Amino acid sequence: MRKIYFLSFLGLFFGINTFAQKVTFEEYDLSNGLHVILYQDNSAPVVTTSVMYHVGSKNEVPGRTGFAHFFEHLLFEGTENIKRGDWFKIVSSNGGTNNANTTQDRTYYYEVFPSNNLKLGLWMESERMLHPIINQIGVDTQNEVVKEEKRLRVDNSPYGQWTGEVFKNLFKKHPYHWVTIGSMADLDAATLEEFRAFNKKFYVPNNAVLVVAGDFEKNSTKKLIKDYFEGIPRGEEITRTVIKEDPITEELEVTFEDPNIQIPAVFTVYRTPAMTTRDARVLDMISTILSGGKSSRLYKKLVDDEKKAMQIAAFNYSLEDYGAYIILALPLGENTLDDLVDEMDEEIVKLQTELISDKELQKLRNKFENNFVNSNSSIEGIANSLAKYYMLYDNVNLINTEIEIYNSITKEEIRDIAKKYLNPNQRLVLDYLPKTAKE
Amino acid sequence: MQHMKTKILSIITLFLLTLSMSAQIDRSIQPKPGPSPKINIGQPKTFELKNGLKVLVVENHVLPRVSATLTIDNNLIFEGDKAGVSSLTGSLMGSGTKNVSKDAFNEEVDYLGANISFSSQGAYMRSLSKYFPRILELMADAAQNPVFTQEEFDKEVNLLLDGIKSGEKSVANIANRVQSALAYGKNHPYGEFTSKKTVQNIKLADVQNFYNTYFKPNNAYLVIVGDVNFKEVKKLVKKYFNNWEKGELPSYTIPTVKNVAKTEIDFINMPNAVQSNIAVLNTVNLKMSNPDFFAVKLANKILGGGGEGRLFLNLREDKGYTYGAYSSIRSNEKTATVFKASAQVRNMVTDSSAVEFIKEIKKFRDSLVSQEELKNAKAAYIGDFVRNVEKPETVARYALNIKINNLPEDFYKMYLAKINAVTVEDLQRVGQKYFSADNARIVIVGKALDVLPNLEKLPYTINYFDKEANPTSKPEMTKPIPSGVTKETVINHYFEAIGGQEKVKTIKTILNTSEASMQGMTLLLESKSMAPNKQSVIMSGMGMIMSKMKFDGEKGYSEQQGRKVDLAGKELEKVKSNTVPFPETGYATDEKVSLEKIEPIDGNDTYVLKVGDDISIYYDVASGLKIKQVTKIKIGEKTMYQTFDFSDYKKVDGIKFPHLISMTMGPQKFEFNTKEIIINKGVSDSDFE
Repeated sequence: MRKIYFLSFLGLFFGINTFAQKVTFEEYDLSNGLHVILYQDNSAPVVTTSVMYHVGSKNEVPGRTGFAHFFEHLLFEGTENIKRGDWFKIVSSNGGTNNANTTQDRTYYYEVFPSNNLKLGLWMESERMLHPIINQIGVDTQNEVVKEEKRLRVDNSPYGQWTGEVFKNLFKKHPYHWVTIGSMADLDAATLEEFRAFNKKFYVPNNAVLVVAGDFEKNSTKKLIKDYFEGIPRGEEITRTVIKEDPITEELEVTFEDPNIQIPAVFTVYRTPAMTTRDARVLDMISTILSGGKSSRLYKKLVDDEKKAMQIAAFNYSLEDYGAYIILALPLGENTLDDLVDEMDEEIVKLQTELISDKELQKLRNKFENNFVNSNSSIEGIANSLAKYYMLYDNVNLINTEIEIYNSITKEEIRDIAKKYLNPNQRLVLDYLPKTAKE
Repeated sequence: MQHMKTKILSIITLFLLTLSMSAQIDRSIQPKPGPSPKINIGQPKTFELKNGLKVLVVENHVLPRVSATLTIDNNLIFEGDKAGVSSLTGSLMGSGTKNVSKDAFNEEVDYLGANISFSSQGAYMRSLSKYFPRILELMADAAQNPVFTQEEFDKEVNLLLDGIKSGEKSVANIANRVQSALAYGKNHPYGEFTSKKTVQNIKLADVQNFYNTYFKPNNAYLVIVGDVNFKEVKKLVKKYFNNWEKGELPSYTIPTVKNVAKTEIDFINMPNAVQSNIAVLNTVNLKMSNPDFFAVKLANKILGGGGEGRLFLNLREDKGYTYGAYSSIRSNEKTATVFKASAQVRNMVTDSSAVEFIKEIKKFRDSLVSQEELKNAKAAYIGDFVRNVEKPETVARYALNIKINNLPEDFYKMYLAKINAVTVEDLQRVGQKYFSADNARIVIVGKALDVLPNLEKLPYTINYFDKEANPTSKPEMTKPIPSGVTKETVINHYFEAIGGQEKVKTIKTILNTSEASMQGMTLLLESKSMAPNKQSVIMSGMGMIMSKMKFDGEKGYSEQQGRKVDLAGKELEKVKSNTVPFPETGYATDEKVSLEKIEPIDGNDTYVLKVGDDISIYYDVASGLKIKQVTKIKIGEKTMYQTFDFSDYKKVDGIKFPHLISMTMGPQKFEFNTKEIIINKGVSDSDFE
């Protein structure tokens, strides 16, 4: 590594020394269908145990939204062997930390312990998978907590409601239509039996991946995993159908008023293909051209040179079934939202008609290389990536090879993908405005 | 016999043994930790330049990347009427140098996939190790040779102003600002804040001047972490930073900070809030070198340091008031620090949350924590330490902490031992010293209409502040009445809600019997009414009539314990004009009745009808039902309020009547439970004589 450094010191602009950084992992299935991934790194006495379940808000049905996220809360309430209210105490009193998160596609639970508590982490995750307690008191408490979470993150939060507005309008049939936190009325109406049925259906070993990453010994760990997880009964097979959306053929215009803001924002949003596709990755690169860094096209033009925008961003909100390509801007001073959209469009048209330069392509690759190196910088991060690549991409080794896909993307592809997806008649324009004072 | 028993026991033992062997594990038992892992605390290599810049290097070759952080540890800076000049200086830096234009600078940093950023008192870079020398050179250049142009200045001023504007409706943003301003005072560097007014006072020359004065290597540290070689780094740093000149820094005495004499509520009204931001806070001195440091950290951990803290368990897990309730206290070398317990709670439980916060702080001060709590807190602290100690950033941070906080060199080596030595008595002692319950500010940012009425019931003075922490008066507690709503629509809605106007018209008499209990005695209330205005109320207890009031349409009297007084004057007028059984029948045409305002009661909006000067009646906006009546009564010089709360509406012959009526006057409260309601029967003219 140090050699590379000295070499590049001289040939700074010439050498593309993509660093061969390899995450070596082992994966296998238990007889109940639980997929296991082990990643060993004994450099620090820390171990992560995590379980990702292939369930997110898109597995909910209209009228009962918010279940997956609700379970993110509910599955900390206790198990047959872990008393209600003890979960966090057990973790922290053993020097650990834990959390969970939910997206439209999956739910992720994890603990990080000093490595002498690996067994505890496995026990806790297996308890959660085998026999969580789902009762009325837990449901009632978490119902209140989730409502507070929604008030905190959405209702009381400046610009907290754009995601809901975007997805509601971009997806008409697909469950991406609703937000992960769901509808509070749906949660209020849900019965205990419905929660139990949801748990029985989705939180089963054959719908999950267990990752152990960090400082452990392989053979004894495999035995522990077998002891704790193999006895958990397999659930019924889950059939997944991707609901197809009709293409957008005319620009959709939507306005929303947020009482927590003073400065409006505009979002132009295009529906894009699944995160696993090459097209989605090309769109990631387009985002970087538009808004990655101060020399990026949109930032330089709108924020730096013309001073029309306070802030701009472009990114591909990639999901398992579809994506949403989002460009957003906050105007500076008297500039209007329409002005900003015109400026954004000008840059998109440029991408659709002119190839980017060789230097720009190299800049993109340098940026992606940098991201790639940093993405594997923590054990927790690696554990999450391993689970994600297994569950949503069906290829764990992408953790090592995804950079090659990015490096193989050509200038022509960038132009063609911009032409294919980023047209005004395929998009939603959301004017996100301050709510005019009525109170 | 003895022998026999042993045998049975051993068979049972054997049996149990085989059973558990075959099951491999007993999952009903929580696994015990294995032997503690060994930890190594790394040491950075260091050197110092002649200009005072101290450099710390942590080599770590796991990934081919490097970060460098420049921290200038100057005294606090008070910006006064030019507040914002430091942040503008930070944002202008990095936009070009005397050697590289802004565009070329940004282009090169992006091209190399790196990041460089600045603040008014520091800089940060991150890159792949192969590009480190160049990125460090660019950062050094931008730090020492910045170019401040009017054009960039104007742009950043606009951004800053828009940024201020955009935060004006954010409850969290306002809460943070006001908390600091109140805790420290606005004449303190931590209490002042940037406003439109102060930004307008700043000129380009002020930025240049700020940079010239404060961006100096005297108190600066450069921390480099990652895939580098110490010798190489030393060469590079010398090359790029040797010419950075030291300077004389202005002296400044930080104002002292005071707490309030008695716990108070400081309220800031934000009508858009759907949650209240509550913080119970006090200021206190705590340096990292203070022997109390570890005890304070553990105390805070137990009180509110996370998901297993008492505040979280109480306010979130037990009560569901909030998404999270926490407390925090950090050390500060230069001035007082703030202890703060806070949460964002839904409007309706704002007062209850304030009560719980104070309760938890008091409990912590008044009683010893359990040994188990302390044990768990220590384990959590030690776990945090163990999980992080070997990360290269941690090694660097610890080393920097030792330097800027004047700590003994072995501070982190002794860390675990110091934590383990803390006792439950220590915790109570530091709780009493650092967490205040009697001299605290309860700073609440929320929607006055929803939360103030209940806050006013708490035993604390409420002081009102605006969003800039200036004292102000109590906010207006009403909402405008929407167009189209009149007293007629309110009355009609009420009649619809109870069963419809037509139905109401058919009712001529009502006989209502209800019960209340007073000091163990059951009171019986029999009230009769007959259209248009005849009324009779008889209250009895233990078989004796205690008081009565009658009105036959023309004249009437009240009688209490045998003393009879005729109704006269104003009172008589009032009773005469009161239409019964439903007073609302007469309101539409009564000029003394007006729709006054909308006022929330327990979180629900109500329309308030004013009847004359003395009576207010509250109708729920959503349901239309009458939920409350307040009557002003003058007894001598004193004004009292008599309140009736109506609830538990149930249908009798198709009309809804409240079946629970609470009457409050001063400290007295009676709850009348309706036993029977008879309509158009059992009432005759003679009942009113």
